Formats: sequence, structure tokens, C-alpha cells
Amino acid sequence: MQPLRIALAQLAPRLGVLDENLERHRALLAEARAAGAGLVVFPELGLTGYLLQDLAAEVAMRADDPRLAGLAAGTDGLSAVVSFVEESADHRLFIAAALLEDGRVRHVHRKLYLPTYGLFDERRFFAPGEALRAVPSRLGVGVGLAVCEDFWHLAVPALLALDGAQVLVNVSSSPGRDLAAVHEVGLGTAASWRTLLRAYAQLTTSVVVFCNRVGVDESISFWGGSEVIAPSGEAVLTAPLYEEGLFVGEVDLADVRRERISLPLLRDERPELLVRELDRIVAERAGLAPDATAEPGAWP
Amino acid sequence: MSADERGGAPPVGGVGGPAAGSSIGAGPGAAAGAVAAGTAGAGAGPGAAAGEPLFVLPPELAIDTDVARQVITAFIRGQLRQAGFERAVLGLSGGIDSALVAFLVAEAIGPGRLLAVLMPYRTSSPASRADAEEVVRRLGCGSRLVDISPIVDGYFGRDGEPGAGGEEALDASPLRRGNLAARARMLVLYDQSVVFGGLVVGTGNKTEGLIGYTTIFGDAACAFNPIGDLYKSQVRQLAAAVGVPEAVIRKAPSADLWPGQTDEAEAGFTYHELDRLLYWMVDRRRSDDELVAKGFDRATIERVQRMVAGSEFKRQVPPIAKLGPRTAGIDYLSPRRRPGSTRP
Repeated sequence: MQPLRIALAQLAPRLGVLDENLERHRALLAEARAAGAGLVVFPELGLTGYLLQDLAAEVAMRADDPRLAGLAAGTDGLSAVVSFVEESADHRLFIAAALLEDGRVRHVHRKLYLPTYGLFDERRFFAPGEALRAVPSRLGVGVGLAVCEDFWHLAVPALLALDGAQVLVNVSSSPGRDLAAVHEVGLGTAASWRTLLRAYAQLTTSVVVFCNRVGVDESISFWGGSEVIAPSGEAVLTAPLYEEGLFVGEVDLADVRRERISLPLLRDERPELLVRELDRIVAERAGLAPDATAEPGAWP
Repeated sequence: MSADERGGAPPVGGVGGPAAGSSIGAGPGAAAGAVAAGTAGAGAGPGAAAGEPLFVLPPELAIDTDVARQVITAFIRGQLRQAGFERAVLGLSGGIDSALVAFLVAEAIGPGRLLAVLMPYRTSSPASRADAEEVVRRLGCGSRLVDISPIVDGYFGRDGEPGAGGEEALDASPLRRGNLAARARMLVLYDQSVVFGGLVVGTGNKTEGLIGYTTIFGDAACAFNPIGDLYKSQVRQLAAAVGVPEAVIRKAPSADLWPGQTDEAEAGFTYHELDRLLYWMVDRRRSDDELVAKGFDRATIERVQRMVAGSEFKRQVPPIAKLGPRTAGIDYLSPRRRPGSTRP
């Protein structure tokens, strides 16, 4: 038994009020530590609020910002994932998630997929990340970070698992929408996410951790419902919808090994096949090779 | 809400109440297929025929009312908190929309922080006022009665005596009179909001918003709107869930322009039919041909599309001529509430 207690800080950040949000993170970090958590996860842009628009540049921090280092200083003996607006040396702004461990900033993941459709306008204000890496952690297993929309692209959880992650962490600011009685828990967004998270846990035979914020930015209400899913696809912890709080669940990391022995999907994965086929598809989409599935009359 | 012609729906001079629809039993959230209908929870309201459903709810529009309540009450609290306010003001007409919003605001912040302003015109239905008073009584919120007749008559004149609008205004059309009355209510609400120290809460629903059955800068004016994304059918479902008096839910929606007027007779279709059409047209992006295949009448589709297209301007902030380097709403994009924008 390698129990890992995971605390999900399902908070409602104040839009653009960095100091107050930092203070709230510190307080919840201490609360999680007191609850015996080994991993504490905060939501996407938990340090800044989501609907920043032109405020993004005003709340941006570099990865070496003393305020971030100050937060990291509170992570002796535990791991935390926090999210903020990161400014690169060449002044691009990213939606970032950082793994803080043992007093240090261990890894920064820059959101790869910036939704700019429907109610989203992220690409207008942010640059997309260019890299995806699983990283070793003090938890004894590899950890993979992703931000919200990253999980609406199949390749992201697949690549993180192939790269060695056994715990996949997604931090989100997911706006609730499609309120309808036909959906599980009455909300289309929540029903979709629940399906994705269970499928990813099962398909990657990993622990999937999802922390989604609550609260209101302008018209948008964020629905919470943060979860921890075991490698079997079963939910270990499901936080309530729309309720602020610190929610704690426990997983047995040995379950990852057990699941991967009995269901060796990752063993049987064929990355070389993926690369080959992706190379072909990329060439076809670029018009460099004939596309067998193209509709007649349509340009590629 | 409210009491006036809105200048969106072309009058179709029909008579009589709304068609009852093909509603049969079953509660909200019933399985797809038939049209679900809400049934009265408590005793039947005045004039309600025994066994008649409280409202008609197309199944695809059924919402989880618990989730809706949770979202909307948090939205109301969030809007007030972000603006640095603790109180709210709204116009209570006696209709279902403003009654529902009053119930939701009272649930969100407590009835003691809500001021309901009743603003009848001299020809408004006394029954509407009685319904509004019943809502106030049930909620225990503060209320104020402001007769807008002197404001409206002061402009249009009365009994052959011209007002500020001059001779010509004596013969103003019902459309002009309705729009001015709606804007007079806006004036009163925004003044009362200063006196009471509360934000003005909007009470327009999605159906009337989409077809433009609203008065711009009149009943559409507000600091925020908690029910503007709920179709009328969903307003009814939620109203039943939060305890809006049955008589208010059951009565035919009316702009109260003349005795016996109803929105549905004036528009020529029922709200639940219109709601379904708008849902498939707008929310589910169905083409005209797909809508016809779903059983909607082509002439109705085209008419509703004209209403939606013709009222786009009412749903948007007026455009500013772009001249400088940074222009509000175009390339100066800020959240409306941010650090420094809260009242001291």
C-alpha cells in the first residue's frame, strides 16, 4: 500500500487580485498539509482568475517570480500544482501550471491548446505552449500536468502516460453550460468531463486528478466537480458542484502497477506506428502527398 | 416583465388566450417524446381549471432546477460582490419573469436586501398589481409603489391637454406609449437604486430577448440579468420549483397594454412552440430545412428569423467609431469589474 492523499482546492479566485489569491493559496496549502495531503492541486489560473482579457499582462509572473518562490517555500515535504499567467523572457504570455515540490518550482507546463471558439477567446490573449513533458516527482512516480482544454485533445493524456506519468493532473477553469435535465447532474459540461476523465484513467491506466474552480467571472459560472479517478476508471473522490472547499481523497499508487500488469495497454502501445501514420497525415494535410480520404472537388 | 408593447413582435390582432398545447400530465423532466407538463404543487390558483397543467414544458427544454438555482443564486451574489454592492432593486410587474427574479434574489441575498418597485400606469391591470403585492407579501421583501402615470402623461399629454411632447404626442401610437412607459420605469428603477443602494436586476427572459420583444434602454436596462438565458418555458419550470405563486405562473403572459391582451395572442404562437423553435434554431444551429423536417412551419420559421435578425441591435452595446489606438469594447477589453472598480 502506497497511500497518497490528494487535496483538491476547489476555490473561487478573485479576478485580477493576485495578492489575495496568493494568500488564499497559502492558507489552503497549510490546511491540506494539516489534513495529511501529499499532493495539493489548485485550479487553472487560480492565482489570477480566468476572464482576464487585457488584465493578463498586469498579473503575469515569470517562472522565477519571488511571489511564486514564496508559495513554493510552503511545499516542504509535499507536492502542489498551482496555475498562473506566465511571462516568458521574450514577453509572451502563457496560461501555466507549475509543480511545486520541497520548496522549489519543479516544472512549468504551458497550456498547449487555447480554445478560441464559442465562449472562449484565449488565443487572443495568450500564446500556446510548445512542449509536453512528464516529470519525476517526490511522489515516487512520474507526474504529467495539463490545463483544461489540453484534455480535450486525445494525444495529451496518451503522450503523458507514454512519457512516464502515472499521475495525470488537469487543472481547469471550466465554464458550466448546457444546463439540461437530460444530462448527468443536470449540466452538459460536467457530464462530458466525467466521461473524459474516466476514459483517460482507464486508457492510460493512471491516476487522473482534475481540479476545477468555482465562482463567477462576469457571465460565466465555473462548476467545480473536481475529481480523483483511479486507474480502473472508478472515481475515488468527486467534489460537489459549485461548492467552494478543500476536498481530500486517497489513492493507492500501487493500484497503477496492479492495473498495468492486468491491463497492459501501455505495454502494447505502438508509438512508432503513431509517428509513422502521423508523418503521413501531416504530409497529406500539407498537400505534399495525395490524400486518399479527400472528398472529390475539395482542396486539402 | 412589464407592461408594455415592445416594438418587436408585429401585432397580429388575434383574440383569446394561448393555445393549450398538446400537454398531458407528467412532471418536469419527463422522458422525451411527449410534451411534458408541470402540475400544480399546492392548491390550484384562482381561475385554474381543475387538472389543467401549470405550464407546458417541451422535453428538450427541461432543466435541472436545483442546478439552475445554485448557479443563478451564486451568479447574483457574485455580481453584487464584484461591484461592491449588497442590495438589489427590481421592477415587479405581477408577471412571472420579475416574480421569479425576485424569488431568486431573495434566496441569494435575503429578502431584506431586495427592494421591489411596483410601477403601474393608470391603465395597468389592477390584477397585475395584486399579483405583485402577493409576491412581496410571500417574500417579505421591501417594496415601493411608484405610479408612472404623471411621467408618461407629462410627455404625451392627457385628455386633450398636450404634455412635454407637444400636440403631436397626444396621438402617439401604442408602440410609442409602451416604449416610453418602459423607459419611465427604467428611470424610476435607476433612481431608486441610488436611494436604496442596490444594483438594478434585469428580468427579461431569453425568448423575448431573442425575438426583440423588449424596449431597448427600457425594460432591457439592468446591471445584470439572472434569467436572460432561460426560455419562457424554463422560466415557468424554475418558477414552479422556487415557489412563485401558482396564479402568477398560470396566467397568460401579457404586456398589459389593454384589457385582455396576451403576448401569445398578439404574436400568433404559444411560448412553448416559440421556445422549441428558438432552441433548435439558435442553440442547436439547425438549418431551415432541418427545422421543417422537425415539423416546424416554414412561414413561422421565416417570421421568427426576421424577428431575431431585426433585433440584433438590441442585444449589443452600440458601436463606437474606431479612431484612436485603443477603443472600449474593440481593443480595450477589460472585465467590467476588476481591482479598483469596486465602490469605496
